[in-house]
Amino acid sequence: MAFVQKYLAWGAGVLALLVALIVALPGGKARGFDVSGFGTLPILEGGRVKPLDSLARNSLLAIHSRQGFRHDGRMVGPDEWILDVLFRPQVADQQPIFVIDDPEVISLIGAKQTKNRNYFSFADLSSHLDEVQKQAASAQPISAQKRTRFQSAIVNLFDRVYLYYKLRNTLQLAGSPGLGWELQSLGTPEAALRHQDLTQLAHFRMLPPTTAANPDAWQSVGQALTAANAGGSVHPALVPLAKLNAAYVANDAASFNAALAEMNGVVTTLKPDALGHASNELIFNRAQPFFVGLSIYFVAFLALCISWIYKPEILRPTAYALLFSGAIVHTIGLAARIILQGRPPVTNLYSSAVFVGWGAVILGLIVERMYRKGFGTAVAAAAGFASLIVAQNLGTEGDTMEMMRAVLDSNFWLATHVVTITIGYAGTFLAGSIAIAYALKKHIAPKVDVETDKALADMAYGIICFALFFSFVGTVLGGIWADQSWGRFWGWDPKENGALLIVLWNAIILHARMAGYVRERGTMVMAIFGNIITALSWFGVNMLGVGLHSYGFMDKAFVALTTFCISQAVLMAICYAPARFWVDPSQRKA
Amino acid sequence: MINAYASRIWNVLKSFQLTIVLLALLMCLVLFCTLAQVEMGTQGAVNAYMRSFIVWNQPLLLRLPFPGGALVGLLLTINLIAKTIDIKLSWQKSGMWLVHAGLVVLFAGEFIAGMMQVDTNLTIEVGQTVNFVQSYKQMELAVIDVTDPTWDEVYSVPDTLLAKGGAVAIPGTPITLNVKKFYPNAELANLAPGAPPSLANAGVGAGVSIVEKPVVSADNEMNQTSAFVEPVAGGRSYGTWLVSVALGAPQSFTHEGRTYTLAMRLRRQYLPYAFTLKQFRHDVYPGTDIPKNFSSLVQVVNPSRNESREVLIYMNQPLRYEGKTFYQASFGKNDTLSVLSVVENPGWLLPYVSCVLVSIGLLVHFAIVLRRSLKRRQDKKEG
Repeated sequence: MAFVQKYLAWGAGVLALLVALIVALPGGKARGFDVSGFGTLPILEGGRVKPLDSLARNSLLAIHSRQGFRHDGRMVGPDEWILDVLFRPQVADQQPIFVIDDPEVISLIGAKQTKNRNYFSFADLSSHLDEVQKQAASAQPISAQKRTRFQSAIVNLFDRVYLYYKLRNTLQLAGSPGLGWELQSLGTPEAALRHQDLTQLAHFRMLPPTTAANPDAWQSVGQALTAANAGGSVHPALVPLAKLNAAYVANDAASFNAALAEMNGVVTTLKPDALGHASNELIFNRAQPFFVGLSIYFVAFLALCISWIYKPEILRPTAYALLFSGAIVHTIGLAARIILQGRPPVTNLYSSAVFVGWGAVILGLIVERMYRKGFGTAVAAAAGFASLIVAQNLGTEGDTMEMMRAVLDSNFWLATHVVTITIGYAGTFLAGSIAIAYALKKHIAPKVDVETDKALADMAYGIICFALFFSFVGTVLGGIWADQSWGRFWGWDPKENGALLIVLWNAIILHARMAGYVRERGTMVMAIFGNIITALSWFGVNMLGVGLHSYGFMDKAFVALTTFCISQAVLMAICYAPARFWVDPSQRKA
Repeated sequence: MINAYASRIWNVLKSFQLTIVLLALLMCLVLFCTLAQVEMGTQGAVNAYMRSFIVWNQPLLLRLPFPGGALVGLLLTINLIAKTIDIKLSWQKSGMWLVHAGLVVLFAGEFIAGMMQVDTNLTIEVGQTVNFVQSYKQMELAVIDVTDPTWDEVYSVPDTLLAKGGAVAIPGTPITLNVKKFYPNAELANLAPGAPPSLANAGVGAGVSIVEKPVVSADNEMNQTSAFVEPVAGGRSYGTWLVSVALGAPQSFTHEGRTYTLAMRLRRQYLPYAFTLKQFRHDVYPGTDIPKNFSSLVQVVNPSRNESREVLIYMNQPLRYEGKTFYQASFGKNDTLSVLSVVENPGWLLPYVSCVLVSIGLLVHFAIVLRRSLKRRQDKKEG
């Protein structure tokens, strides 16, 4: 029987991995066009070479807040969408992709708020563009922190519309007959003006450098046409690009796929590594390992919760196996990011969330191996799920593999200081999560189970020690980095202060416990408070907008952070309340 | 009796309660200091909260007096030393002992930094040679003897001395300055017709009206320090002059054939060596404005050491020279001007010492704990 249970559990884990693999497999061709082949083409945008697919996904995320949408009864993926935007703007303009939530902005564009989410097409917006631009222009000079809700929303809408507008004018001017026509009409009087517009509006550069001497000199279509117009040779990639354009507009899938092969050939000749690198990144994009991972964590968590009331002998190992599979997918995703970017795992807020989740899951797996109570699995699955959700929300702000600003451009310190301190965050969160599990269990579980309580307390204590060690070492390493780059060890910069708060709080917990001022429950209450401290120093600091460390400001996250802190305070109260507080007095007598 | 008190105090000093209270106070201070930075700027907030003994007027907790960072740090150090002494010298505790000793060194380092660290900057244009660093906020009134076209003799009066007012004798010259009025921060404007006349009766100040402003401390703001001064030499007054950071052109007067200029400016410290900026680079990632690298190629010329060499200062690669650290901080004027921040901190090595001590201490402690738990497990097996 035990044998069967074991294999049943691991079977579930393998099944989860298979699902992850299926997601990573290439999808079918859209209407016969090899759209994912087109998405593999490398481009230069945001300072790095990436597949067009990455740009399509990030742009669609920014505009639509999802990576795909339903239109005319079928799913349109990012690669097909970008093709329409680039080559058939008249089609793309009709797709309702602009999500607008703010009722005042909706009324500004003369529509009514119909549903919870309201989607508009570029065509819907086009008659109100002047007004949107006017309102955004008056809101833009106000610093992001001081804008009203309407002002933030209108600036946000303007940015998205402008991004879309630039995209549809990158490879050809929207409304013009296309790239082939541009190539034919080189030298005509108006051509130079059009090329100038194309150059200015270009959002990315698609034509690989033609000289080895200048390996970063990618060109936009506008730049290449300008050069050709001035009597230079026509960039070799322009011809297949024009063929792609014509074939797509003519709805001729066979010629499109043939032109794509030609385009691949040109790109490979000019920039041998770019295509391979881009197709790796495309596979990573398609596999969405962090989304798959968070789904598996969710199922694992559910399985474990059910195991407390139903068939624990089967469901608990199943949950553990699922957690393990989720961790494998998560680890592969993390490793793929490291390889693709050529950087240590944590480079920005998004990747720190991914890494914190990973650290918490790995720690949870270890704890579960040691104690085998199911709590390690529960807490790890919940922490992994929550942090990947946070990462997914942070990831909507643009390219998550953006280039590092000059001061951060140091792989050594990114690998040591940033990783250590992030492990410290992960540990503190995990200890807090265990404490929450402890608190809930105290009130929900029907009978008092001293042994499990003690095991949970031991886990939390061990992890707090671990977190103190990593956050302290990480903070000191940060000081040394600061001394190396800014000439001072400690500057009381908000981010440094945030890290220091975590160190101090963990130190207080350990000293209070050592001196006997707090026991089991007190330690747990303090561990939950550690969640608040960590969240504040992780995200709150970015909201202050001062100091050398703040490179990005987030406004929406403020509400989420406040909600989180309040929820933790409530959990602290629940943890502190005696268990009998929840028991029905009539039952107590019996 | 005295012994009883002493032992009671000793018990308090080495107690865990004190540790926890102090750590909690420090957390509050760190939080206050971080929040205050939005209004006061980093340096202002650090001086108010971290480098003071008492914070008299903190705005976040009912304006009650709150122990400052220096006091908490001092008490924490005493507590730490007491605790360290109190830990019985046994091998079992050696790891913890090392950790806490390392922390004492870390606190000492921050204390030294707080008391002795000097932050200045060196602003230099391409091709220019500069032999001084200047303060970010503090001002001085420079009286410069420019008679010799090849050599300027600089006498300077710090703003703190100007603020006291009265007569200030300039050593090395026959001049005495009468400080008639001093403004830590002010706003200058052209004197409107019909307005009361300016206090100044010489130089451009005669046509300028001045309004006192509250002192600012945020990182990106600068006080427009100004003053009315009357140079007196050989019993003769040379008129009352308005000197201000806001005034661009230097103003000068001549006494007994020697010409002196007056200039209010950021306080300077002259160096026995000079930097010449040969090249400044500001690289961006292709097709973007995201900075990839800033670097300044400087020629360091130090006659006292008979030294003249090129140094490249770039991100994460500062120059440590003669006790000062020069790092790339900012730039301007279309990438032809480079700003190097300059830090002088005699205790800069202490954090490194501390780091090593704490790391070794933690490793030792973990090794001891591991050994103990292995032994316990062994005993269990055997028992």
